[in-house]
Amino acid sequence: MQNVDPSLPVHLQEVVDLFAHLPEQEKRELLIAYSDRSVECSPKEGENFTLSDIRKDEECTDSVGVFLKADSQNRLLFRMTLGPHVQTLTRAMASILCQGLAGSTAEEVMAVPSGFVPKIVGTELVRQRSQTVYYILARMKGACRQLLAERRQANLASSAS
Amino acid sequence: MKEYAHPDALVETAWLAEHLQDPGVRIIESNEDVLLYDTGHIPGAVHIDWRADLNDPLVRDYIAPDRFAALCRKNGISETTTCLFYGDKSNWWACYALWAFRLYGHGRVKILNGGRDKWIREGRPLVREKPVYPETSYAVPTVRHDKEIRAFYEDVRAFLSTGGPLIDVRSPGEYTGELLHMPEYPQEGALRGGHIPGARSVPWKTAVREDGSFKSADELSQIYEEGCGLSTDRQAIVYCRIGERSSHTWFVLSYLLGHKKVRNYDGSWTEWGNKVGAPIERP
Repeated sequence: MQNVDPSLPVHLQEVVDLFAHLPEQEKRELLIAYSDRSVECSPKEGENFTLSDIRKDEECTDSVGVFLKADSQNRLLFRMTLGPHVQTLTRAMASILCQGLAGSTAEEVMAVPSGFVPKIVGTELVRQRSQTVYYILARMKGACRQLLAERRQANLASSAS
Repeated sequence: MKEYAHPDALVETAWLAEHLQDPGVRIIESNEDVLLYDTGHIPGAVHIDWRADLNDPLVRDYIAPDRFAALCRKNGISETTTCLFYGDKSNWWACYALWAFRLYGHGRVKILNGGRDKWIREGRPLVREKPVYPETSYAVPTVRHDKEIRAFYEDVRAFLSTGGPLIDVRSPGEYTGELLHMPEYPQEGALRGGHIPGARSVPWKTAVREDGSFKSADELSQIYEEGCGLSTDRQAIVYCRIGERSSHTWFVLSYLLGHKKVRNYDGSWTEWGNKVGAPIERP
């Protein structure tokens, strides 16, 4: 492992390492492969979620759904739905983040810095009109923020009773 | 019923399906989604990227003529090749690339009506295989046609005093200054919201149908000629944020309505909105 960022979850660091030294063309091919696999991030039949947040924001070209499931140790599993006009890079990032953040806690997700994005995407591809690569991480953090707020509320309610 | 002024400049998907192997036609995909071509494209299409291929990396301008010639040679385009552009976002970037090709004097150009989305919606094939064409010997253009089809900041300042039609093709929210970016897009670096004084708001979308194809000549005439007073020999300037949506309107005015004196201000709002000393207007 190289250039280890202690604030990145292990699985995400593995993806960053995978991309780190790839030449531009292979980076593109791997991003396409991740984009192709973004359908695998969709919620599976019968799955129940702790939190669901589906919406179309100004910052993204189509609707994005974030579904979050926490196990008994508060380890998270993310699922996502992506509208047909979501850009390829954004799809790839959704796929990478669902994989890379699986098993993290909400606090760990909230602490993930966005500096890893250019390491994956490459400076050639991060530019005007492709900034939505950051959007997916922001949505996931937003879901975690909501989850933590709900937990706080529940704790307050139980301590009050 | 009015006809398009240059009907040859617009082809339908069925026409393209029959010309996929035409050696005189080079199909060119230009997109906003930087990886979209790699995920699948029209068979035989090459990819020209608005930034990596057409913009100079160090100066805010288009590539030097020798680099344009090299780009054409690499993609098997000769001076006599018909370049057929298509892409995502209702052909914004296809029109931008076509306009850039015209800057270097490449006149044989066409747009695929409805763009990439229409081709896909009709169930037509996409492939991932990237074609390789024999290199051509495209001569380095000796003249750039900026004067005819491109407006710079100083040109627009001078144009304001003539009261000539200046068309703002951005969304209504960007025009009024309520938005500093396109709906659905992140902030793109303009310090101020509003529009160039005297500009009329005619969003690019006004020119297309729901499926992204262009409206009829009659409908377009009603919008731009009856509605805005534009005409064949009257000077007009169009702008947006970085020049791609205005390229779309420039194509409509120049090719579909046959207006001869339309220029695209590609510096657009990212230049005007930030420029020290540039006046703006808000409602």
